[in-house]
Amino acid sequence: MEPPNLYPVKLYVYDLSKGLARRLSPMMLGKQLEGIWHTSIVVHKDEFYFGAEGISSCPPGGTMLGPPDSVVDVGSTEVTEEIFLEYLSSLRESLFRGETYHVFENNCNTFTNEVAQFLTGQKIPSYITDLPSEILSTPLGQALRPYLDKIHMQPLGGSAVDRPNGQS
Amino acid sequence: MPDSSCSPSARPLKSMPHVTSRTSRVAHPGRPSDQKNISPSASRVIVKTPGSQEDFMIADDTSVRQFKEKLSAHFQCHIDQLVLVFMGRLLKDQDTLSQRGILDGHTIHLVIKSKHPSRSVIHSSQNSSASEFCHQNRSAKRNSSGVHQPAHVSRTPVEPALSAQLGASQDLEVNSPEYPTQMLENPLIQQLLSNRDVLRQFLSEHPDIQQLIQQNPEVSHILDYSEILWQTLELARNLALIQEIMKIQQPVQNLEYPLSQQSHLGSETIPDGDNAQSYPLFNDQIHSLQDDFGGNIFTALLQGQAPKEAQPSPPSSPTPQGCQDQLPQLPTTRVIYTSSRGLSSITSTNGTTNKVNYSSRTNAAASVSTKAQNHMCAMQQPAEVPALPSTEFTQQSLTEDREATISVNSAEHRSEDDLQLPDEQSSSQIPGNMLQLLLNNPGLVAKMMMFMSMFQLNEQSKQDLQESFLQQTQLSDILMSLANPRASQAISQIEQGLKLLATETPVLLSWVAPYLWGLGWLPAPNWNYPDTVPCAWNESRVAKPKRPQCCHKSATLLQKQQSLAGDPSQLLQAPEIRFSKQMEYLQAMGFGNHQANLQALIATQGDTSAAICKLKRSQGF
Repeated sequence: MEPPNLYPVKLYVYDLSKGLARRLSPMMLGKQLEGIWHTSIVVHKDEFYFGAEGISSCPPGGTMLGPPDSVVDVGSTEVTEEIFLEYLSSLRESLFRGETYHVFENNCNTFTNEVAQFLTGQKIPSYITDLPSEILSTPLGQALRPYLDKIHMQPLGGSAVDRPNGQS
Repeated sequence: MPDSSCSPSARPLKSMPHVTSRTSRVAHPGRPSDQKNISPSASRVIVKTPGSQEDFMIADDTSVRQFKEKLSAHFQCHIDQLVLVFMGRLLKDQDTLSQRGILDGHTIHLVIKSKHPSRSVIHSSQNSSASEFCHQNRSAKRNSSGVHQPAHVSRTPVEPALSAQLGASQDLEVNSPEYPTQMLENPLIQQLLSNRDVLRQFLSEHPDIQQLIQQNPEVSHILDYSEILWQTLELARNLALIQEIMKIQQPVQNLEYPLSQQSHLGSETIPDGDNAQSYPLFNDQIHSLQDDFGGNIFTALLQGQAPKEAQPSPPSSPTPQGCQDQLPQLPTTRVIYTSSRGLSSITSTNGTTNKVNYSSRTNAAASVSTKAQNHMCAMQQPAEVPALPSTEFTQQSLTEDREATISVNSAEHRSEDDLQLPDEQSSSQIPGNMLQLLLNNPGLVAKMMMFMSMFQLNEQSKQDLQESFLQQTQLSDILMSLANPRASQAISQIEQGLKLLATETPVLLSWVAPYLWGLGWLPAPNWNYPDTVPCAWNESRVAKPKRPQCCHKSATLLQKQQSLAGDPSQLLQAPEIRFSKQMEYLQAMGFGNHQANLQALIATQGDTSAAICKLKRSQGF
């Protein structure tokens, strides 16, 4: 029996504020936020992320955000690319359609968390998934919530994941 | 920098606090399994598919193969289609679950491979019927083999799928305008819809339309006209148009409900009454989807409208009359709207764009309140009754009034741009809505812009906003030129108010400035805003800026804005000018240090006596 192939799974973490959040959050929000995190999963030599247009993919580091600010090793998976793309297609129809994007409740990090758990059983670091609640627990976050709710994030540079038959 | 180590999940894998999934969870992860919780011989595992998750009871020695058999029976698929993943490992048939370390409460992920290599199957969730249908569409688009299925499916099953989708439209997350457009562009759908019979059946099966037909029998005739049906489809495609319609209709609803206790004088008027009744369907969707932000402001406005005079302020009571006025005169179009409403329930009010566009130009939309209506409204307004006037108002009068009356009020109110009546069906509605919102809520724009620039979010939308800003200034120019005397009076009131604000509380200037931008008086500043804003915000947080740098920065901010500002903005004079009187006073009293005086005055916001105290303290008296 051949040993199963293990594919590494990485989490690319981007700070959307490019450092501004760390600088300004104490005075604006009253608490220290290290960044506004956007994450994506890199597996099978592709980067997958979720935005307002749905699940997209690109070569690793290929979005307009450039290279990630940090890379987290999530683990490794036996899930093959084919299965993974099937899985993504299912997600695209269920939980992660473009229109289901919500900046607080169903955002890129939600997606990444799901996928990471699927692939490796591990969750992504909590400082990323706790970000919305951190923001919303501040008075400013609450005050701006109606505006923030309407934010639709879509990092440019990727294309929609649309290849269930395993082509790269 | 953030800690880059991956933290193993401490919580059970089954809880996902951040996901508000709308799919049905057949079994709640948090629910304790009553029977065999800690029994050594059986465990409860959670099987998670992309669409849902369910609990399964298994014995510890169950093999993966047996488990798969169970699952395949449950999910109604072939056992070979099942792929089980646990902790990133694919589960092989010959292992037992406990061998792989699957214990009570663990989550196993399931992927069901599609029969054809190009399709995946989605299982048991509320959305399944709809999503399957959608999926059929998508696969039809991208893969010819996928078309087989929809093609083979006879019309009948597809229609129930469609109607199921209609019925579930509120559950569907079809919130973006693109989705129904995509759907409509699907050749399958087009093929279906071009068949008049199909379309007719499809429309008549919709509960909303059935209800409508009951109330308004003449509506049924529209189903016979394919042109009307196609027009309806066109309307449905142009979602913005529908929003337009929604918003016209909505204020009626808003007023109807809160004022329902009072007598509806006009409700005997049949056509209007029907309008009122047909609104709830759509408005329910609106209400269910929209943010309260816009809604509350304006419903409050509506309810508080009564004692006001109609003329200067945005006539909100007149508006429903306005709305209802427009519609009776356009019987055909109205009918189309109602049927398009039916269709648009497919499209279901797009939550996202809707929220953004929720310029709740609501009341507004019809600040198309015609002049002719105004005096009627003035009479009726105190009564707070949306009395439905008789349908004397011709469309002509509407159009001319539309051009004539533009009520531009304080920042919260809407500017009545060329509210193109729905029958014009212009495609500029989409930017129109956005602009309306921006015009109406410059504060919103400012804050959005700040956040966008700060978070460096979607570059696209930033550009859009900038463009819309430019358009906005153009629009505001247009508005200014078209404004009636009442409007200009109102504007001057705003000016004065803002001047006052700026003088009294220069600290708040940064907040005021966005309103000025929004009103088109100032060009939008360059995007070094983040640098200046935090200083101003810092300013507002610190009750008394203790350090001179803050004063400097606020002065810089003001000067910067002043340099950007045009003439109308005397509000943004440099502090020296604003405080010139106080400065003279201070100098007369003997405080010779000009700079220190200025700083003190800025710090105390022009309060001379407080400035004196400050100066005395600092100079060591």
